[in-house]
Amino acid sequence: MTVLTWTRRSVLAASAAFGLSLGLSAPTLAQTPPGVLIVGQIAEPKALDPAAVTAVNDFRILMNVYDGLVRYKDGTLEVEPALATAWEISEDGTVYTFSLREGVTFHDGSAFDAAAVKFNFDRMLKEDHPYHDTGPFPLAFFFSAVQEVTVIDPLTVQFTLDAPYAPFLSNLAYPTGLIVSPAAVEQHGAEFGRNPSGTGPFTFAEWRSNEAVVIEANPDYWDGAPASQAVVFRPISDANTRTAEMLAGGIDLMVEVPPVALSEFAGDAYTLHEQAGPHVWFLILNAKEGPFADVRVRQAANYAINKSAIVNDVLEGTAAVAAGPTPPAFAWAYNESLEPYPYDPEKAKALIAEAGAEGAELTFYVTEGGSGMLDPVAMGTAIQADLKAVGFEVTIETYEWNTFLGEVNPGLEGKADMAQMAWMTNDPDTLPYLALRTEAWPENGGFNSGYYSNPEVDKLLEDARSATDQAERAALYQEMQTIVQEDAPWVFVANWKQNAVTSDRVESFALQPSFFLLLKDVVKN
Amino acid sequence: MAGYILKRLLSAIPVLLGITVIVFAIMALIPGDPATAILGSFATPENVEKLNRDLGLDKPLVAQYFIWLGNMLQGDFGQSFALNRPVIDELLERFGATLILAGTAFVLCSLFGVMAGVVSAARQYGFADKAITFVVLLGISIPSFFLGMMMILTFAVSLRWFPVSGMWPIYGARDLGALISHLTMPALALAVVATGVIARLSRSAMLEVLRQDFIRTARAKGVPERRVIWRHALRAAMVSIIPVLGIQAGFVLSGAVYVEIVFQWPGVGRMLVDAILKRDILLVQGGVVFVAACYVMFNIAVDVAQSLLDPRIKT
Repeated sequence: MTVLTWTRRSVLAASAAFGLSLGLSAPTLAQTPPGVLIVGQIAEPKALDPAAVTAVNDFRILMNVYDGLVRYKDGTLEVEPALATAWEISEDGTVYTFSLREGVTFHDGSAFDAAAVKFNFDRMLKEDHPYHDTGPFPLAFFFSAVQEVTVIDPLTVQFTLDAPYAPFLSNLAYPTGLIVSPAAVEQHGAEFGRNPSGTGPFTFAEWRSNEAVVIEANPDYWDGAPASQAVVFRPISDANTRTAEMLAGGIDLMVEVPPVALSEFAGDAYTLHEQAGPHVWFLILNAKEGPFADVRVRQAANYAINKSAIVNDVLEGTAAVAAGPTPPAFAWAYNESLEPYPYDPEKAKALIAEAGAEGAELTFYVTEGGSGMLDPVAMGTAIQADLKAVGFEVTIETYEWNTFLGEVNPGLEGKADMAQMAWMTNDPDTLPYLALRTEAWPENGGFNSGYYSNPEVDKLLEDARSATDQAERAALYQEMQTIVQEDAPWVFVANWKQNAVTSDRVESFALQPSFFLLLKDVVKN
Repeated sequence: MAGYILKRLLSAIPVLLGITVIVFAIMALIPGDPATAILGSFATPENVEKLNRDLGLDKPLVAQYFIWLGNMLQGDFGQSFALNRPVIDELLERFGATLILAGTAFVLCSLFGVMAGVVSAARQYGFADKAITFVVLLGISIPSFFLGMMMILTFAVSLRWFPVSGMWPIYGARDLGALISHLTMPALALAVVATGVIARLSRSAMLEVLRQDFIRTARAKGVPERRVIWRHALRAAMVSIIPVLGIQAGFVLSGAVYVEIVFQWPGVGRMLVDAILKRDILLVQGGVVFVAACYVMFNIAVDVAQSLLDPRIKT
């Protein structure tokens, strides 16, 4: 009996201790404070140096701390003035002259001027620059066309390119083109990424590793002071935990809501935001060998796969059916007349019979997950079933993301007939130029892993790159989309709609087609 | 005694060297390199080559290994690619968080496990024994990550007694109360399985001791039952319980990986998972070596404790 008595007492003591800990913890569970927006991020940022990072997760913070020379107009992917108020492009498309905004200062107090712009690009591009060793700068090749940056006067800066390169302006609007404070780089050196200073609507306040990055309103911002006092970015890498934090009131804004969790946020207490972005999810088909060397079989695959079922059932409506290689988010360059390949298994079978490819055995590379890949295993299984229905025996080989890239990027020849892939870009030039030209076959260092080749497409893409007039470029891209859709080097599957959830205490929030998170005008009550 | 400890410490050196070779070889052999992981879609052979050069990964593997080992012996674990800060800073910060979590869980599971085992043994086949055995079986069978998710749904989302995740409040004081409220759920989720294992093994260890002559003698002398059990029997049983605790400490440390992910605890387990996915080679290597060294040291401590408790074990 003595043993049990002792235990009962210990149980009492334990419950008392438990109750005490609850009492102690009560204040920490208060609601998040008004005026402070708490954002649930998907990972810890690498650095807050725009020249050094590559992840969308980091861009979400950077776009609120820095400005570029140009930026995307609200709700579009067209550039408008930011730190540059105007620009001129020379006749031959190789010299860009920017007039800079007057009276702008960096958060550290130093002045923004032409010398600062030159410092930024020289630091990234010139190996002999004294601060080039604050890198590496993995996306510096966005500006590899830049030969020289020249200071004309304190408020005028000139970029000389080695050849006409039309995507230059939209690359400047990309986070890699954001302007950092030279004084802060000189002061902090390689530690600049943890001590950032820009000209943006928010100033950097604090970075607590693996806990939070805090930024505070910049009341002197040239484009008007932000509506909130501060924003806190919390890294919560597990999607279920992120959802639970949103439901428990620990965060006010959550990005990348998993499709299965959407129903949790159906009530009035939450607003679900959706925005299609410059993303395309496709299957690379091996056009060099095997059944997909025949264009009819490639078209058949496009007819055989039920894309609406994938988009609506597997992805729960978080994506739209893709029609061609260019996402509709590039509104100015998108060919509105393209209709997606309809789901038509009979037509697919007829085309396969015509090509004599009945019952072919196919190897299909699938990844477990990766940047922009959505739900690749479930999507791969659905695709396998659709292709089986038209008589193909598809064997799936699944790889972890980095391994997958190591298999797919060097080309599918001798290994596979098809592979999943997804791209998110900032200019309609990027993806087709890197992944559809003959010059972009893997052995030439490109991403055309399926060996598609059409001289007409090659020419259109080269011409579009050297045209500086947007309407002229648009026409070239639209023609390219029609040809590529017909040639079907890929199965065009889906365009992802980025999503986010805000609580009812958040107002004036909108997602951008660029997938950037712009928080200047967001109100938190 | 000092000689024994020294001998054990010396024998740890080849073990640790072996670990450095294995972890380096694994990171070198797995497909995918950090440059590809950093560049993602933009990983052209040209870009990858340039970035590898910038990261110092273009040297031969053997040279890379010895550079790494040499630097590490001087206390320099290198720079993390993915986090852009010294590996050692990140490691120490993260290891502190893991120690708080795993340490609390270890104390909880040792305390409750041994207590449950003793009560079970003292009341063999009685109601308390059956109730404890049932609860223990349940505890052993539930995976900690699942238990963690259920705890979050119940106590954080529905009842709002505890915060969902993290180690400190985003706003407000970073005091002991705040830490306890963040620590309670992950520590319990982590402790449950180990508590079950310890309870079962403590029960059988106690039963064996309780059958021995010196217990009968103690009872015959009229020593109170409470004293017989908690003083005489438990002390003798501890000799076989302590190695179990040592092994369970290892399980708690490795189990922390799952719990840290579910509760977003900023510990070394979550760090290693992120680092492996990003091919953050130096952080993975440094982290594994560091954790392995701690594990080896802990095992030595357990052996020493055991030899102190039971002089029959040769020193």
